[in-house]
Amino acid sequence: MSAAARLYRRSPLARTLFSFFTVALVFLIFADLEIATVDPWDEFGRLLTGIVTPDFFATENLISALVNTLAFAFLGVAFGVGFGFLLALGFHSRAVRTFCVVVRAVHELFWALIFLQLFGLSPLTGILAIGIPYAGIVAKVFAEILEEADGRAVDAAPSGASRLSTLLFVRLPDVWSHFRTYALYRLECGLRSSAVLGFVGLPTLGFHLETAFRQGRYSEVSALLILFYVIIASQRLWARRQLVPVYLIGAALVLPWATHISGANITRFLTIDIVPFPLRNGDGISGLIDWLWLLISTQALPGSIATIQLTMIALVATGFLSALMFPFISPQMFGRPVRGISHFALVVIRSTPEYILAFVFLQLWGPSMLPAIVALALHNGAIIGHLIGRHTETLALRADAPTGLNRYAYELLPRVYRNLLALLFYRWEVIMRETAILGILGIATLGFYVDSAFAELRFDRAIFLIALTAVLNIAIDVTSRRVRAYLRLRTTLEGR
Amino acid sequence: MHILDLAGVPAGYVGRPVLQDIHLRIETGERIAIVGESGAGKTTLLRLIREHCTAPTAIIPQDLGLVQALSVFHNVYMGQLHNRSTLHNLRTLFWPAVRDVDAVRSVLTPLRLPDEIFSAVRRLSGGQQQRTAVARALFNDAPVLIGDEPVSAVDDHQAREVLSLASTQKETVIVALHDRALALSFADRIIGLKDGKVALDTLTAGLQPGDLDGLYKS
Amino acid sequence: MHIRVIGIVLAAFVFFAAPFNAISANAQDSFVFTAIPDQDETRLRTRFEKVARYLSETLEIDVQYVPVKSYAAAVTAFRNDQVQLAWFGGLSGVQARRAVEGSEALAQGAEDQEFVTYFIAHASTGLTESPDFPKSIAGKTFTFGSKGSTSGRLMPEFHVRNHFGKSPDDVFSRVGFSGDHSRTIALVQSGAFEVGAVNFAVWENELRDGRIDPEKVRIIWRTPTYPDYQWSIRGDVNRKFGPEFVERVRTALLAIDDPELLKAFPRSRFIPATNEDYTPILRVGKDIGLID
Repeated sequence: MSAAARLYRRSPLARTLFSFFTVALVFLIFADLEIATVDPWDEFGRLLTGIVTPDFFATENLISALVNTLAFAFLGVAFGVGFGFLLALGFHSRAVRTFCVVVRAVHELFWALIFLQLFGLSPLTGILAIGIPYAGIVAKVFAEILEEADGRAVDAAPSGASRLSTLLFVRLPDVWSHFRTYALYRLECGLRSSAVLGFVGLPTLGFHLETAFRQGRYSEVSALLILFYVIIASQRLWARRQLVPVYLIGAALVLPWATHISGANITRFLTIDIVPFPLRNGDGISGLIDWLWLLISTQALPGSIATIQLTMIALVATGFLSALMFPFISPQMFGRPVRGISHFALVVIRSTPEYILAFVFLQLWGPSMLPAIVALALHNGAIIGHLIGRHTETLALRADAPTGLNRYAYELLPRVYRNLLALLFYRWEVIMRETAILGILGIATLGFYVDSAFAELRFDRAIFLIALTAVLNIAIDVTSRRVRAYLRLRTTLEGR
Repeated sequence: MHILDLAGVPAGYVGRPVLQDIHLRIETGERIAIVGESGAGKTTLLRLIREHCTAPTAIIPQDLGLVQALSVFHNVYMGQLHNRSTLHNLRTLFWPAVRDVDAVRSVLTPLRLPDEIFSAVRRLSGGQQQRTAVARALFNDAPVLIGDEPVSAVDDHQAREVLSLASTQKETVIVALHDRALALSFADRIIGLKDGKVALDTLTAGLQPGDLDGLYKS
Repeated sequence: MHIRVIGIVLAAFVFFAAPFNAISANAQDSFVFTAIPDQDETRLRTRFEKVARYLSETLEIDVQYVPVKSYAAAVTAFRNDQVQLAWFGGLSGVQARRAVEGSEALAQGAEDQEFVTYFIAHASTGLTESPDFPKSIAGKTFTFGSKGSTSGRLMPEFHVRNHFGKSPDDVFSRVGFSGDHSRTIALVQSGAFEVGAVNFAVWENELRDGRIDPEKVRIIWRTPTYPDYQWSIRGDVNRKFGPEFVERVRTALLAIDDPELLKAFPRSRFIPATNEDYTPILRVGKDIGLID
């Protein structure tokens, strides 16, 4: 047996990676990667020109869009964190855990499309679209934090103490700072989500961003993006504990609550609209079977295949890209100037939601899988690259360690690749959720068919397809957990 | 011919004891043991020697500096990274050449590690890891070996074996040791440190372990 | 020190909040309308707010315009009574009126009685205009407008299915949905798609404004005419805004003669319309499976 074969045989990790790589490669061969635009670089040139000549006065109602973006994020995240905290306390119950799995398996944009039907363009739509899936995510992470917390103090508490007092006096104080850090991180995510909700019609930055992009007004795009980055980058300055109540009250004040919400609409949506058409129409079980068969064969199946295909390619591409990105911010590899520029680039890329990145590349290259792959790999690669790059700061290399590419390949990569893979597999589910949603932009994943169903006002189909994305997502979540357990990969709180 | 000539160089590193007034000249071919209490400045002196040495050095740091996730083969192979093309090195990560595997195995055999050649370092015992670090330094073709407690985790018999192996393969060997008897039996020159100063610098011939007692507080 | 920061932030919020609350406080009693986002959205809000002002003066009640992002959102808002009046396309109007009992088509543009879709192609395809359906578009890349558009989706898909006996996915090598008509023109002009289907009114409008390069993109076929855009109103507005309100709105719309207001649509004038005018659209919608 050759030396290489022996190395391979000894390593379950190498085998797993090889299978993922093969699967992605096979999918890639069948993927549609054509650049459909005749002259994409012409458009790209105009985009660059626009980026360097931002126009802050081109957007109508810019200030209200900005304020709305903040307000939806504050209230949505507050709802998500509060509700998620309560759910975390009941996380030992199977029902609660299942509820959390289901609500977080559905992307906030899909939630928004559903709530738009229920509450229309009311603030409730935006707040719940962010808050509901976030509650599921927050509950999971908080529960994990509580579980990993030091159990000794709990053991030392008097045995007669009530559960609530043990919680308040013993368990919470220990983990409170973790909760706060995580809530702050969620706020950053919430700002991104809030902006993206504009793409489906809520009055946030995304509303104007979509219009400006679609019509090639790149100076306006530039201004909107700059404002968005400034908000995210300055978060540390203004996101202070003492100001939280002020923000929440302010947010509640600015949103136009008086929008009419009709109970009859909600009832109709829940009891009639989402019931499969043949049942409503009295076509019975055979009608339902025909309906299901048509939906599955023409939409659900091709949509699922495309979703899985894109997910797997994007996952592997993300892995490669993050391995390529992290050395540029690592003090073990580069000096201050390179690191500074790279840090800036990574911050910009990971602050931009993949939805917006995909939208940009779609405008440039036309509708194939390529824009989606590039967007997903860039955004997620930048997130993982950042975390790994920071991690390398803690590594101590021997005094005569090699330099350059040898240092990267022999000293850095082998030391960090398990962390990198842990983060990558952790984000697998995130990538899948985003993949589904990118369909709204015209790539033939499940989101495409969901969007079509909403456009045709066929809510029964929409709900069925959204439920399917949730099932796929849960399947990936379970698989990812198994793979991580098999390879004994662990993620730190930062990576979640 | 000397490989080092220090005249009153002060040396201080953040968080390390400061060495004062170091006058040191090392000739090619010497076997030097550096002894002294922990905290006396042995590691700092080794670092100083490495930085001022005019010949290429191979080092065995106290923390070994091994990459845990890589195999013994790869860790040892790292001793020759600078002599191979980067392309060859990248290829070796995934598909080692038979020639390189044989070369590494021949270094591992006298260190009693040939069977572990493809084990990940993190699966090895402390003693095995230390011998891997020694192998890496021996595989390196630098003529000077600098080791910081390179045999602290192996038994007495093996320690002598490892040190004599190093002596036959390297022109010059400079090691910090805490075992006084071992230092006397291996080295032909002893440098004793106390409170950041060279308190003793003499040839080993005729020296008894008791003669070093002055370097240690009772 | 924090007190001052809190003060500033609070002041800023109230400053921004005030105008919002002024709007939202009486949103409940306002008469609200929307329009499908079918073309260039530059200053869309400014343009339609002029229409709102006109209606407000003529009807002597508060009238507001809300922008929406998609055809479906316009229909949903109408259905959920968050808007009572809407400028719909043929298909979205049919969908909306089917969802709200008693609602009716009020008025249409003079051009909407005989609306036309243009099939346009990039010059590199070598296709030229012909009176017959251009069968040679098979195998090319093709973009519709919005998924819910009559002129950009429903009618062109109907003709494609009619002439090829297959769905567009099977006829063309790639099918896209540009989102709106201006974008369809831009995509075909840039060569991102070889062929597209576009609302003739938007095409003529952009041609007049010099935004179309005849060297790069040209018309290759004009569809037979069909009824399209119309104003539709909910049936329950008489109860809310007084008797005869539907007729008052119709009269106000028909009376618009300010070219600046008409350009928002873009139409030369409005004429009366009825629900029955749109029966052909409903039939086609059911025919190609867009309406159950």
